[in-house]
Amino acid sequence: MTSPRRPSAWRISLTAGWLVAATLLCGFSASSSTFADGPAESPGRRLLERFCGDCHFGEGSEGGLDFEKMMASPKVDPFIGPWEKSYNMVRAALMPPASEDQPTPRQRREIAAWIDARLRQLDCTVKRPGRVTIRRLNRTEYNRTIADLVGIDFHPADDFPADDVGYGFDNIGDVLTLPPMLMEKYLRAAEEIVRRTMEDPQARRRIVFCRPGPELSPEECLKRILRRFATRAYRRPVRDDELQRLVELVQRARKGGATPKDALSVALQAVLVSPHFLFRVERDPPADDPDGIRPLNDYEIASRLSYFLWSTMPDERLFELASQGKLRDRDTLKKEARRMLADPRAEALVQNFASQWLTLGRLERVERDPERFPAFSDQLRRDMLEETLALFRYVMRDDRSILEFLTADYTFVNERLARHYGIEGVRGDVFRKVALPPQRRGVVTHASILTVTSNPTRTSPVSRGKWLMETILGTPPPPPPGDAAPLAEGKGAELLGSLRERLEQHRADPECATCHKQMDVLGFGLENFDAIGSWRAKDGRFPIDASGELPGGIRFSGPSELMMVLAEARRDDFCRGFTRKMLTYALGRGVVPEDRCTLERIRVELERSGYRFSRLVEAIVTSDPFLYRAAK
Amino acid sequence: MNRPISRRTVLRGLGAALALPSLEAMRAAQGAASAPPLRMAFLFVPNGVNVEHWFPRRTGFAFDLPQTLQPLARFQDDLLVISGLTHNGGRPNGDGPGDHARCASVFLTGAQPRKTSGAGIRVGVSVDQIAAKHKGSRTPLPSLELGCEPGRSSGNCDSGYSCAYSSSISWATPSTPLGKEVNPRLVFERLFSQGTGSSERRQRRGLQAEFQKSILDFVAEDARRLGRRLGPADRRKLDEYLEGVRTVEQRIAKLEERTVEEQGPAALAKPPGIPSDYGEHLRLMADMMVTAFQSDLTRIATFMFANAGSNRSYRMVGVPEGHHSLSHHGNNSAKLAKIAQINRFHVQQFAYLLERLRAIPEEDGTLLDHCMIVYGSGIHDGNRHNNENLPIILAGRANGTIDTGRHLRVPRETPMTNLFLSMLDRFGVSIDWMGDSTGRLSGLTL
Repeated sequence: MTSPRRPSAWRISLTAGWLVAATLLCGFSASSSTFADGPAESPGRRLLERFCGDCHFGEGSEGGLDFEKMMASPKVDPFIGPWEKSYNMVRAALMPPASEDQPTPRQRREIAAWIDARLRQLDCTVKRPGRVTIRRLNRTEYNRTIADLVGIDFHPADDFPADDVGYGFDNIGDVLTLPPMLMEKYLRAAEEIVRRTMEDPQARRRIVFCRPGPELSPEECLKRILRRFATRAYRRPVRDDELQRLVELVQRARKGGATPKDALSVALQAVLVSPHFLFRVERDPPADDPDGIRPLNDYEIASRLSYFLWSTMPDERLFELASQGKLRDRDTLKKEARRMLADPRAEALVQNFASQWLTLGRLERVERDPERFPAFSDQLRRDMLEETLALFRYVMRDDRSILEFLTADYTFVNERLARHYGIEGVRGDVFRKVALPPQRRGVVTHASILTVTSNPTRTSPVSRGKWLMETILGTPPPPPPGDAAPLAEGKGAELLGSLRERLEQHRADPECATCHKQMDVLGFGLENFDAIGSWRAKDGRFPIDASGELPGGIRFSGPSELMMVLAEARRDDFCRGFTRKMLTYALGRGVVPEDRCTLERIRVELERSGYRFSRLVEAIVTSDPFLYRAAK
Repeated sequence: MNRPISRRTVLRGLGAALALPSLEAMRAAQGAASAPPLRMAFLFVPNGVNVEHWFPRRTGFAFDLPQTLQPLARFQDDLLVISGLTHNGGRPNGDGPGDHARCASVFLTGAQPRKTSGAGIRVGVSVDQIAAKHKGSRTPLPSLELGCEPGRSSGNCDSGYSCAYSSSISWATPSTPLGKEVNPRLVFERLFSQGTGSSERRQRRGLQAEFQKSILDFVAEDARRLGRRLGPADRRKLDEYLEGVRTVEQRIAKLEERTVEEQGPAALAKPPGIPSDYGEHLRLMADMMVTAFQSDLTRIATFMFANAGSNRSYRMVGVPEGHHSLSHHGNNSAKLAKIAQINRFHVQQFAYLLERLRAIPEEDGTLLDHCMIVYGSGIHDGNRHNNENLPIILAGRANGTIDTGRHLRVPRETPMTNLFLSMLDRFGVSIDWMGDSTGRLSGLTL
């Protein structure tokens, strides 16, 4: 799929032509988002042309990435994505490909700095909230919403089919489809929910809160019941015409021979199957709106807050604030976010966000060869999960620095897990906070993560390295070339040497080497932990060498040092990556290049606050994407 | 002359243990004269196969059964082993890695999935759903989607492809993957929700069905009103919603046409949940499929033995390693032997399904004679991740329209979708093309 390389003479003439065009453009432009990079012979740009121009200049550029076109554009906006990608590839030394001339580290920095400067010309006063597809309640949200709505917690959605995952999370509007089978389940669940509610005196009284009498006509009472129920279920005031249709539904059922109780049940079921309940509806801005952007209304914001932090419907206070029109106030929003984080319901953020961010869901289904790992049991599996969630919970509840996810010198264990780690003096099943042995720091050295990044019979330094790059550093390596040869393994393979030696042979291929160098060095830093996260000094008969050198010449030896080095040298990458994940979860859509200004604002805010957890949440709930809706 | 019997007679005569509503008796009672209805099923296994032990050497009748296919020896006359079929849409075609996600989503659609982690998932409509759309209204359930592994609940599934691609082979629209049921108990409840019972309970059920209809009318109106006020992407979600409403309405109508006695299997025990033993899980799901076919609750089914790229280990056959990591075998003979073990285990479960289908007499033959069942993988060899010459078996004579008992070798690069078109023809659905099809598959009959 390689396009023919152009002779460089032609490239030079193209460049010259571009210079003329750029000079003209610069001469006429005044706007700050217009490309005005000072002297055209700026060294960063010259280096970009020199090292990238062969393949990425002019029509028919490799991968459709055409710097000529991008530089000629007076606005950055249309090319934020390609510029960001280029920046990352250059900075991570993934481009130019190994087969081409390589810039020196200093030249590389200059190219990256030039691209960064270009990106900074983006006008961040313009709102770019992005578009969220209306979200169906996922299984967790459905269960919790029902529990809050009717006061009976019995997890009807556990029988629903699994929700699909997009961008690492199961609450993404685009991916939450509604297959016909699910509609059957919704109907049946609604029937069961209403039946149980009507049979439970307490729950019934909460919903059927009035009785017809001399003061109250049956129809007025029915209206009151339905108005309250539908308003809470739809998470906004029910409209009069909607209410009227519900009343008529009851009346028709009565005419058809239903008892008053059955007839009311029919209407309650209809509410629970209505798209207004099953989806979090947000209307698009009107088609004739000049910006195509509208601020969300108070009720929509209340739902965004409650589903982000609690995975359930808004509580009384949020409804109250919404009805008073106070939720568009930034200080109120921040205050509410802090209140919600302190509420027990914020456990949802631990169970849903944290477990998906760290891919802990995989733990449930990993298998380990019992002959090689007799210590691995279902109990240990559950303990591993609990440890990591406990650390997240602690950072959240104590409002600590998010950097402690990488550097915490403490953790939470019970007796079984303590034994697994070689920590003395812990008895019983209850988890408690303990100091970690010096070899372990932060979540990456937790048994949970070391296990989900391994294979059933052995560790996989490549998977671990890839996981670190994706999940912790937010810089996933590009996928391998299609014909990548897998690692030789099994009997006989050992003759070729230790796993590290074999991997080194494997990456002798320069095309693989660029990325593997980065993945493997991270993964091997964790080789002292076996496939269930126990400490080991040897792998089979080979002693473990857990030292390495990161790009930029930073050396480390062993897992703890690796984590400390990452928290220092790659701090911004970690924070940006973590922010992207939380923003994805909060919005229910993938983060797009247009979110650049939002991410940068949050980063500054986070740094200023000493990386405190609550400040990240506050910054997210007061960001444009969280408070506005775009048509596109 | 045989007298038509009512199912009640069967119940009395044979006792509760055999109290399934046999289609044969029902049809006899209705005085049916045409051929029994045809059923179609599609079974998916992940990660390709050890090709050495899969493909027979000889073609035509009396083909040899390689090691992996040995468990099918008893069914050799009911099979058509097909080699040479290709899924071009499973290839990168410029999209880079992600073969596992692609191979599942292309498996029944023949279309190239759009590479995305979330926004705008899109592939094509799958063959089972094309059949369901045209003919599904004849049965209470248009189709049945089964599996053993739920969709993955976290992380990326495969190189930038949404998990929906790896965990779904049935696609109702190009952007709607159908969730599959993995819990046998829930399948049972879905199949037999309108179960028999006391007359009072039945009456109550009848009333509830009336209620359900009015609820569905109400919410469909909600969705239509709402749809008018939403943008195109949101409206697509409401279209899915309305499609669901229509399907349920249709199901209620179908069940009402049947008499109460025909509806429930009085004696098929309800499974308590998901068995811990994988083999048992697979067989229980197969039982559900057989029962659904036998009771004519549906005529179309799909069954994913595992999700694409599954890294399950198979200790029951002496393979502790993960299937996916093993499948990158690098031509290592020990690994290849283990892959063959896994393939054989899967084929054994397939044989169990065929056994069950063949044990049920139906009119002039057995239920199996009135089926066409595709079994196979969307990848040829897990190490090479290639999508030509797929391992595919077609079982059942399709009411005598397929000459089984052969190994059929089709020309290289023949689209798998050509086979699907030929199957759809037999199913009474005549369409010009699907996916990358170039015509009908010749050679199914002699």
